[in-house]
Formats: sequence, structure tokens, C-alpha cells
Amino acid sequence: MHEMGIAASILDAVQKEMDRYPGYRAAKIGVRIGEYAGVDTMSLRFCFDAIVKDSPLAPLELAVEWLDGEELDLGSLELEEIAA
Amino acid sequence: MIEVPIEKKVLSENQRVAEGLRTSLAETGTLSLNFIGSPGAGKTAFLERTLASLPARTQVAVLTGDLQTENDAQRLARYGYPVRQITTVGACHLDARMVEKHLEGWDPAGLDLLFIENVGNLVCPTSYDLGEDAKVVVLSVCEGEDKPLKYPGIFRKAELMILNKVDLLPYVPFKPDLAREYARRIHPEIEIVETSAITGVGFDRWLEWLNVRAARKKASMREAAHAFAGTGSR
Repeated sequence: MHEMGIAASILDAVQKEMDRYPGYRAAKIGVRIGEYAGVDTMSLRFCFDAIVKDSPLAPLELAVEWLDGEELDLGSLELEEIAA
Repeated sequence: MIEVPIEKKVLSENQRVAEGLRTSLAETGTLSLNFIGSPGAGKTAFLERTLASLPARTQVAVLTGDLQTENDAQRLARYGYPVRQITTVGACHLDARMVEKHLEGWDPAGLDLLFIENVGNLVCPTSYDLGEDAKVVVLSVCEGEDKPLKYPGIFRKAELMILNKVDLLPYVPFKPDLAREYARRIHPEIEIVETSAITGVGFDRWLEWLNVRAARKKASMREAAHAFAGTGSR
């Protein structure tokens, strides 16, 4: 149920990062989620897709890496050059 | 296509606020505990009995979280200590910013204890650091013994498990040994205290735990102050 807040935090982080890369758009954001992080991946995807859709970041793919600890970390961000 | 590493926590903003709270509570030597349990586990009754049992002159403040109503704050305020209700209006957990906001105007200096009663939920509150020294999970004997296996995150992060409502053991099929075994399977070092807020059984052990932890917190504050004075005089 708190996955909406987590999805919003991911988008905020991506948005902040994009300010540093003019001329690029975000294509894919990686997150690492541990088994004990208390986050449901299905629900996170659902929330993420729902809020990305109407954001300036759309389309943005969420890549989840599943780990066995308490991780809830951002991984790497894939950027595409915007065609001039 | 380029790939840039971000390498920070998803909840880094919450973490930043939580670390700020942790630093200020370290300066005042205030022991902060985050109580997490299902709705109906008896968190509020447990805290009521705790407030009623604390030695006179203990300085304690309480924040209590719920989606709606001031009911818990009203119950807890009867013991003469400062209490504030955090109504999350739908959110399933407390976050560090809500705690920070509700501490405004309270003088933390001289505060021995800060109790934070989270929203009744075994999942979401687990992810949000509130700047506390320890999470305490409250499980009641009216629930299943296998809660630690079903919701391992909180049992792994909690330093203490309160097995509450043990006065009801004669009437429910709950097997305490099994619950202990499951909790230790998830978190071998977890400390477990069995309590009843109705009869008061187990509160001597719980208050002893609290006393030890509060004394340790005060001692580390004094050490830090000494170290600071030491560097200042050089």
C-alpha cells in the first residue's frame, strides 16, 4: 500500500538526475529490492506505471533486481540521446 | 545510450530527515523507540501501562499514528505526559517528516524517552526510518504464531518483540514456543518479552530492558559531550 509513495520517490530521483543531462531522456531506471524491504514488486510496478504515464518522463521502464536483504536502492539509469 | 549509476536509497529523502532526527536525539540523550504491530495487537494499551509504570520524574513524550481520530492520543494523554496524535489521513505508515513536524515546539532537552506508536500495519512502516534507536514489534496471542514467517521484514529489523495479551493464553490456541521459534528463525538475536497490559505480567522485564537502553543512550551522549569538550580545549 505504500508502494505509491515509493514509486513517487523513484520518479522524483529520476527527475532530479535528468536535470544534469540536458539533451537526454530517461529510458530505464533500475531499482534493487530486498526480500525484507517490505515492498511488493507487482504493486510497485502497477503504481509506477500509473504515475509515469501522465508524467513528462513517460515512457520510462522500471527494471527491478530482486535481492535477499533489506535493500531498497536505486541502481542505474539508462539515458537516450534526444534526436535533434 | 548511456548508463549512469545513481546509487542511493529510494527513500533517501526520508533517510535524510531521519538522520537529522537521530542526530538531535543523540545530542539530548533521548531514547527513541518505534512501535510497530498489527491493528489490535495492543500497542496503545501496552504504552498506557508503560506510562503508568514509569518511575516518577521520567521525562517521556509520545507520538501516536493512525489514519483518523484523536482517540489514541486521548487515551495516552491521561498519564500526564506530552502526547501528540499524527493522523496520516490514509497513509499506512509514519515517515520521518511527519515525526519531525510533530516534534516541533517540544523541547527535547531533558527528554529521556520518545515513544512513537506507528500506524497498525506489519508491512509498510518497516521501510521508513523514523530516526529511532530501535524498532519494537508488538505481536499478540490473538494472532497466528507464524506472523514472523509471514511478515519477516519487521521481525528482522526489530530488536525487541513484545508478545502481548498473554493473559488470554488459556482461551486461545496460540503456542508461544512456536512463535518464539519462528521469530528466532527470522532473527536469531531478537529479544522477546511476554506481556499483558491487563495484568501487568512481564512489565518488570520490559521496563528493565527500557532502563538499560535509556541508560546506554545517556552514557553515549555524555561520552560524545566529553569528546567534544576535549577537542575544544586543545
